[in-house]
Amino acid sequence: MTTVEETVKKIVTRIVRKPDLDFKPTATFKDFKADSLDIVQILVAVEDTFDIEIQDEDLKQVTDMGAFIAYIERKVAEKNKSQVSS
Amino acid sequence: MSLKGKIALVTGGSRGIGAAITLKLAAEGVDVIINYFRKTSAAELTAGKAREQGVTAHIIKANLAEPEKIDSMFQEIESRFGRLDILISNAASGVARPALELDTRGWEWTMNINARAFLLCAQRAARLMKDGGKMVSISSLGSRLVWPVYTAVGVSKAALEALTRYLAIELAPKGICVNGVAAGAVESEALKMYTTDQGLPQPSLQTTPAGRMLRAEDVANVVAFLCSDEAAMIRGQIIVIDGGLTLAPMTGGSGGTT
Ligand SMILES: NC(=O)c1ccc[n+]([C@@H]2O[C@H](COP(=O)([O-])OP(=O)(O)OC[C@H]3O[C@@H](n4cnc5c(N)ncnc54)[C@H](OP(=O)(O)O)[C@@H]3O)[C@@H](O)[C@H]2O)c1
Repeated sequence: MTTVEETVKKIVTRIVRKPDLDFKPTATFKDFKADSLDIVQILVAVEDTFDIEIQDEDLKQVTDMGAFIAYIERKVAEKNKSQVSS
Repeated sequence: MSLKGKIALVTGGSRGIGAAITLKLAAEGVDVIINYFRKTSAAELTAGKAREQGVTAHIIKANLAEPEKIDSMFQEIESRFGRLDILISNAASGVARPALELDTRGWEWTMNINARAFLLCAQRAARLMKDGGKMVSISSLGSRLVWPVYTAVGVSKAALEALTRYLAIELAPKGICVNGVAAGAVESEALKMYTTDQGLPQPSLQTTPAGRMLRAEDVANVVAFLCSDEAAMIRGQIIVIDGGLTLAPMTGGSGGTT
C-alpha cells in the first residue's frame, strides 16, 4: 500500500466507523454504506490532510477506491510540481 | 445608501447568493471578508471580482460546523481588521432526507451549520462591533413551507429566524440591527442539484407573479438595504423575497390581470 492509500484508508475507516473495513481498489463508497454526509467529511479530511482541493465535478469519474487514490495522488503530484516551479 | 468604508463578513460568501451579497457590498464600498468551506478557487475568484471595486477582500477557510474554526476565523478578523461592522450569516448545508430517515448526525450537521453558527458568529461579531453594526441572516421559505426531504434544513431555518428575533432585541441597546431575509428558489448550483435529485421542476421553468424567477442579486439588494442606516428601524424581521409567489401559489407564477 502506498502512503496515500494508507492515509486514505485510515480517514475512510474513521469516518464510516467500520474498523474492519475491506478497503480494496474495487470497493466503492456504497459498499462502505457511506452516506452523503460521510462523503463530504471524507473529502474535507482528505483535502486538509494532503492540502489539495477536490473538484466535485471530477468525482463523477471516481468510481471506486482505486480511482479515488489515483485521483488524490495526481492532485498531490500537481501541487508539488506547481510548488517547485513557483 | 452609504456603506463606504464598512467591514463585512459574509459566511459562505464565495459562491451563489453569498457571492452576490459579497459583490453587492463591495460595489457599495464595503471591505469584504469571504468565509468558505472547501472551494478555495471559488473564494479567490469572488475576492478578485470584489477587489475590482477598489475594496479590500480577504478570504478565510473555516468549517462553521466547528466552533474552534469559528473562533480562529474571528481571531484572524480581529488581528487583521480590528473591528467588524456587518455580519451576513449566509453559509448553509444540509442533509436531504425525509423526517423518518433523519439520523442525529445529519440533524446536528445541518443545525450546527445553519443555526448554531449564526449564534457563535453573532457572539464574536458583537464584540467587534464597537460602534454598532448590522447582522443579516439568510433564511429560506422552507422555514414555513414544506418541501420533500427539506426537513432538517427547514427546521434549521426556523431556528435561524427565531434566533434573528432574539438577537435583534438583545443587541438593540448595543446599536446593532439584526434582521433576516427568506428567499424563494434562486437559480444556483445547490438548487439545480436538489431539484434534479428530487425530480422537481427545473428552476428555469418556474416563475413568480413578478414575471421571472428570483436571482441571487435580488437577495443581495435587500441584504444591502438592511445593512444601511435607512433600514435602522426595521428590527428582528424576516423579509420575504419571492416575487409574490407564496401569496399566490395557485397562479403558478402567471401573475394577475394586466
Ligand atoms: N439557492 C436557493 O434557491 C436558496 C433559496 C433560499 C435561501 N437560500 C439560502 O441562501 C444561502 C446561500 O445558498 P446558495 O444556494 O447560494 O448556496 P451554495 O451555492 O451551495 O453556496 C454555499 C456557500 O456556503 C459555504 N458553506 C457550505 N458549508 C459550509 C460550512 N460548513 N462552513 C462554511 N461555509 C460553508 C460554501 O463554501 P464552499 O463552496 O467552499 O463549499 C458556499 O460558499 C443559504 O443560507 C441558503 O439556505 C438559498
